[in-house]
Amino acid sequence: MSEEFKLSRRKFLEKVTVGIGGVLTALFGIPAAIFVVKPVLKKDESSGWMRLGSISKVTPGTPTLFSLKVERETGWITDQDEIMVYVYTEDGRDYAVMSNICTHLACRVRWIEERQEFFCPCHNGVYDKQGTVLAGPPPRPLDRYEFNIENDDIYIKVG
Amino acid sequence: MNEKEQKEYLQEYKKEKEKGVPFFPDILFKDAVVSLLLFVILVALAYFLGAPLEERANPANTDYTPRPEWYFLFLFQLLKYFPGKLEVLGVVVLPSIVLLLLFILPLIDRSPRRHFLNRLSVTIPTTIIVAGIVVLTYLSAREAPPPSVTEKGDPIASLYAENCSACHGTSIEVKPGANLHNIIAEGNHDGMPAWSADLTSDEIDALAGFITSPGGSQLFNQNCGSCHVVEELVEGSPMDLKQALENGVSFLPHASVQIPDWNTALSLENRTTLLNFLVAPDGQRLFATNCSTCHGSSLAFAGSDKELRQVISQGGKHLDMPGWKEQVTPEQLDQLSSYIVDPGSAPQTQALFQELCSSCHGEQIPQADSIESARQIIESGGPHRTMPVWGNFLTTEQLDALVSFTRQSMEGNSVAVGQTLFSQHCAACHGALGEGGPNPTKAGDIIAPISSAEYLKTRDDITLMSIISQGQPNFGMSPFGTSNGGPLKDDDIETIVGFIRSWETKPPVELPPEVAVPVLNEKPIQLYAFVCAQCHGVAGEGGVGPEFQSVDFQSQRTDQEIFDSINIGHGSTAMIGWGDILSADQIAQLVALIRSFKQTTVSSGSPDNVSFSKGVLPIFEAHCTSCHGSLGGWDGSNYASVMESGNNSPVIIAGDPQASLLVQKLFGIQTTGGSMPPGTPLTQEEIDLIVSWIAAGAADN
Amino acid sequence: MATRFSNWLDARTGWRNVWDGIFLRKVPKVNWLYTLGSASLFIVVNQVVTGILLTIYYVPTPDHAYDSVQYITTQVALGWLIRGLHHWGASAMVVLVFLHMLRVIFLGSYKFPREVTWFSGVVLFLVVIGFGFTGYLLPWDEKAYWATTVGTQIAGTPPLIGDLALRILRGGEELTAMTLARFFGIHIWVLPAILLGLVGLHVYLVIKHGISTTPKREENSHE
Repeated sequence: MSEEFKLSRRKFLEKVTVGIGGVLTALFGIPAAIFVVKPVLKKDESSGWMRLGSISKVTPGTPTLFSLKVERETGWITDQDEIMVYVYTEDGRDYAVMSNICTHLACRVRWIEERQEFFCPCHNGVYDKQGTVLAGPPPRPLDRYEFNIENDDIYIKVG
Repeated sequence: MNEKEQKEYLQEYKKEKEKGVPFFPDILFKDAVVSLLLFVILVALAYFLGAPLEERANPANTDYTPRPEWYFLFLFQLLKYFPGKLEVLGVVVLPSIVLLLLFILPLIDRSPRRHFLNRLSVTIPTTIIVAGIVVLTYLSAREAPPPSVTEKGDPIASLYAENCSACHGTSIEVKPGANLHNIIAEGNHDGMPAWSADLTSDEIDALAGFITSPGGSQLFNQNCGSCHVVEELVEGSPMDLKQALENGVSFLPHASVQIPDWNTALSLENRTTLLNFLVAPDGQRLFATNCSTCHGSSLAFAGSDKELRQVISQGGKHLDMPGWKEQVTPEQLDQLSSYIVDPGSAPQTQALFQELCSSCHGEQIPQADSIESARQIIESGGPHRTMPVWGNFLTTEQLDALVSFTRQSMEGNSVAVGQTLFSQHCAACHGALGEGGPNPTKAGDIIAPISSAEYLKTRDDITLMSIISQGQPNFGMSPFGTSNGGPLKDDDIETIVGFIRSWETKPPVELPPEVAVPVLNEKPIQLYAFVCAQCHGVAGEGGVGPEFQSVDFQSQRTDQEIFDSINIGHGSTAMIGWGDILSADQIAQLVALIRSFKQTTVSSGSPDNVSFSKGVLPIFEAHCTSCHGSLGGWDGSNYASVMESGNNSPVIIAGDPQASLLVQKLFGIQTTGGSMPPGTPLTQEEIDLIVSWIAAGAADN
Repeated sequence: MATRFSNWLDARTGWRNVWDGIFLRKVPKVNWLYTLGSASLFIVVNQVVTGILLTIYYVPTPDHAYDSVQYITTQVALGWLIRGLHHWGASAMVVLVFLHMLRVIFLGSYKFPREVTWFSGVVLFLVVIGFGFTGYLLPWDEKAYWATTVGTQIAGTPPLIGDLALRILRGGEELTAMTLARFFGIHIWVLPAILLGLVGLHVYLVIKHGISTTPKREENSHE
């Protein structure tokens, strides 16, 4: 065996070895990434129209808090989540259905009766009755739900 | 290895190293190739075999045979050779020694020699141990028990396990001549319930087969189970079954299937076991399926058992058939002839066959070799109907059972006898089918049906027998038992009860439950509740009859006087003399009970004012709601549920303690399901309190 | 650029010495039997990677263990692969470590100067067995439950200490949520820590002493 041949053989072996190493890394890495990421991308199936409650409970001029139980399937666990929703009307004809989740960092806002404002205790975000930002860090008004009123019952679209 | 040798080795190694190759890539290349190969193997295993996951762990599962992962199998197997106290040797000591030796191996073997042939003292024991591990693993894998029976799915075994094993354990010894199908379907007087409502007739047949021949069930699963289900074959004719086993593929339905020759595949013993499983040696059933088409429900035979057995096993010519030539049209004759030779070819002739032939032939179509010979036989009639040579088809056990049943049936079918007795003694008031009607002894009273499913389900045989025997004086039913002055012996009563029970599979009456309540004479408290309380009040508070609680009553009479009153009665009043019905002992017990009313009155306050919330509910809460609250059925946790819930609701009939299921349960006289609470009954005071509350109207107070 | 960066890094870490010491060192020529050790190391990597991935979904409590394993196997993308690799990797590990050990025994590689390598190897073997035993319970299926019941019962056989050993293993008298939690802790924290430490030592010693050579038969033995 000539020295030259030995050398070229060695170069070849080096390449193959590194190649196999790369292949193995990919064979572990890619499935691992899929394994971790793919289940997360699954769409939340618990969506649709759900009955919130009777519209008669809403006092005009004051946002009224409704709560709604939603079944959520996370992995192998099915549990009930509670969605809290403020319903507001000035005149009993036009309604606004707002989430109680602050648009800043997802703390829960509360209605302060004396000040007639929504207040978020985390970073002092303040919204008015309609959910418009009055003060503090929230980047946009409170999120609205799509809703529908049928036979005195108010339905919202969840999901 | 001394220092010199160590130095020698290091120098030798240095030389080798200089002659060697760089780790990367020469050595690492091999490693990489092996790793890649391994990865491919692992992915293949994961893809083709997957990672197994069995049923969720169930600590209550007793059927599971635990098996460790394969690399522990040798240890698992080793344990089998170390029984009892030696276990610790095999489990702890031996492995520990091996491990210790393994660990200190470099300290034991310190010679400079490295080649395995130069170190036989190490390599031979190692080889032996490795061989041992391999052999033990192999043995363990081979001895692997078959997956537990339930897993493999022996449906009849699980049927047995679900329904029978709780009382009968793993097997039942059956007396020869027992009519298993009947016993299972109808229960018996020793407290075995009737299963006919829960199991189909085929299932009962299969169970009977399983009980008489448990091995047959296994054989069935191994040999027949992949094509047949048990229920489909148990109703088959023993002739077909026998032929299927004897003839192998030449048995017509098996012609196109791949099956072994059963004669060689199964020993004679196994074939018998299998036949006994599929057609249980149960005389009544055998007779019903095989003989009754020709012989009806029973037959007369004057000879001995031995002769009877001979006739059955040898068969014979014994029946004249009329010639049909004059009675049918030629077309009908043609149709019938071809139908007999091949029933499948002319299904429309079935109706004709049923019309003309079935009254004698039943569903069994006679066999004929050709249309010609069939026609000849039908035309001419004559002594041609051959009784099958049953000896060729039935196993010894089945023959025995058949002989013994035929013998019994000559003496009269017990249900038929019961029916005769019933129509003689009972039908006048209860109607031929137990449907009831106007009470002849009491104007305006209606006798409720006794043949409804409800009535039969809620009364056990003992109750029915004592009703018949003792009568129900307050409803005008006189005692029928000889021991109570009536015309019927205990045997007769039992037979009548048997007849009444025969309704249970198909009750002729589907009406609401009647109001009659059985009189029982087990305990004085029950006797009192059912007999005396009607006039004297549930707690002796009085009514039509004198008040037992009153101080006057208790103080003015001696025990003997009370005894006499019960025994002889007071001619001028409604109080009849109970001496004919009750024993002196029972009367004495009643006297004692009546005496006790004085004390209970003091302790439990005025029984008219028992409070539900303060008196009754606490009892329920202490004794009942641990089960009757959350587990379904009756719920004793509040007034509404007490009055309304339950599978047989209402359990309380306000004002009528005797009719209230709850009271019957407390006294233990509602034997369906046993008395309540199970284990320790309530105290007398507690029962009295509940009874008084119900008698007072079961108000929510 | 690349050279400049590697020079920069070498001046600060001295990685070239380590690299040369490990990868460019000369070793005696050996046959394929000598790949058993590195194959075992590969399986260790496999078990670590897949094991970590499994813990993302696995929940070690009796009410969730079975469901989560089932979820991994049937719902999660490539869950069957990750769990399959881990499961079969465990079997492969036992086989490879066992064969590796036999190779060392038959070729006399445990002798001077590699005694400590051998000691660490025997302990590693026990750790692998421990992994198999504790990992077996985690899916909480029938097989897991009952095999572990029997397995832990064995710990209870020695006199005097048996009962205590059994209780320590099970975290109580019976096989319960305690046992599962304990086995999980041992399987993913205790044993990996020991394993990685010992593998480090083992590999260091192999590099330091070099791969042992295939011995020649000594005809003129001293006996």
